[in-house]
Amino acid sequence: MRMYLLFTGALILVLQIWIGDWMKLKIVPRLLKNLIKKPMTVRFPNESIPIPEGYRGEHEYDKGKCISCGLCAKVCPNRAIEMVQSENGRKYPVIDIGKCCFCGLCQDVCHTGALKLTKNLVSPIIVDSNKKEKSGM
Amino acid sequence: MSHENVKERELFFGPAHPGSGNFCVKLMVDGEKVLSARADPGYLHRGFEKLMEYRDTMQNAVLSDRICVFEPLAWNLVHAEAVDGLMGVDVPERASYIRVIMAELSRIQSHLIWYGGMSMGIGFDTGFKMAFGYRDYILDIFELITGGRVYPAGYICPGGVRKDMPDTAREKILDVLKRIDEIKMLEKFENPTLLPRLKNVGVLELKDTIRLGATGFVMRASGMRTDVRKDDSYEVYDQLDFDIPIQNDGDAYSRFLVGIREIEESIKIIRQALDELPKGRLKPIKPKLSTKIPEGEIYIRNEVARGEAAMHMVSDGTGSPYRCKIRGPSFLHMIPVLEYLLKGVQIADVPAIYWSLNPCPADMDR
Repeated sequence: MRMYLLFTGALILVLQIWIGDWMKLKIVPRLLKNLIKKPMTVRFPNESIPIPEGYRGEHEYDKGKCISCGLCAKVCPNRAIEMVQSENGRKYPVIDIGKCCFCGLCQDVCHTGALKLTKNLVSPIIVDSNKKEKSGM
Repeated sequence: MSHENVKERELFFGPAHPGSGNFCVKLMVDGEKVLSARADPGYLHRGFEKLMEYRDTMQNAVLSDRICVFEPLAWNLVHAEAVDGLMGVDVPERASYIRVIMAELSRIQSHLIWYGGMSMGIGFDTGFKMAFGYRDYILDIFELITGGRVYPAGYICPGGVRKDMPDTAREKILDVLKRIDEIKMLEKFENPTLLPRLKNVGVLELKDTIRLGATGFVMRASGMRTDVRKDDSYEVYDQLDFDIPIQNDGDAYSRFLVGIREIEESIKIIRQALDELPKGRLKPIKPKLSTKIPEGEIYIRNEVARGEAAMHMVSDGTGSPYRCKIRGPSFLHMIPVLEYLLKGVQIADVPAIYWSLNPCPADMDR
């Protein structure tokens, strides 16, 4: 089988030289280079490309730092943030992840740093119900 | 009515065709020959012009990403320049250089999508995968600088840029540019594949480009040396040295070659801009809720990858614009130009002609 393949390969090579199609021959060193080159992609669940600082992923909300100013709800271009009355009489933001476009304006407008975007890019899609209660959202 | 009497049939190219995007061309065909074509846009209308009348400047910057899915940063720049012009803001020089670098990177990745789409249209799948592989390296840079892979969320905003480039960005950009250079080799090797499908297909004469209102690379491929970056220079383009590649044939292959040469020119521009980038750190721009745009009217035009993009903004002194008209370059390329080019061609050439115009249904419908 291998002999057959080698033979066909050699035949094609000879034919191409004979026809004079040098354009195609130039690709041979390129093909050999590609044999030892690493692939462009990574095997995702096992390894992933590093996520840089400042990535706009899932929100992290610190209820203790929040002063209930409501700027995040006003600045949100998609109106994904709603201020909801809490039991202690103050209003706190509730983020609808489905409407959110992850622009990060709420993070920029927040004076106290209560609302931040983290590097977590997987869980914005799948919202964990336990986490929801914990963060007060 | 028997089938023998039926000569003309209507064939839909899109919106479900894998190579058409959210756009439809209705072709009247007789056998393999296209008798006439009628563009049917409107599948991606999202009403940005109206939405922008209800949002303030920073929210509009975020919204302007979505005008064209393939090159959000270029449209960010168009919007930011319009607002800057109305407000009379002087952008810091460093921010201006960063804007140019980002706009050119955006142009390269948009051209790579074009290369990929064109390869897919003519049945050359290797080109499609190679182009999208290289494009991902540029998306890595966008992720590092703007915080998002595709949508920068108004990174180029009125007044400059939302945050400065990180220190590691320079090395990363130079490294990626070195890799992108390889795409030129691909074009050289694959001439036997590309030439028979693209040469003398969809020929557009220079007088027709002017008559039909084509701009940008379509005009350049027909032999007119025109580029908004040179003719009506904006940002720091007048301080940078670059050429305008032109071809004279006006066929699909010429348009493709202009695209490849433009990638080279963009690489040249980015290298220069990185060298001349002024030192210092920029202050991050935070959104202000009560920013008022002074009363006035402005028309800004920019050269994006698809041609001439423009924005006409009218303000009545409130926080949001009174009227915002967006001129998408694909609108004229995809309706009059495409309808003209598709008349009388073979069905097999339709995807090649369609993709040679570098269409973006998103900026056409807005």
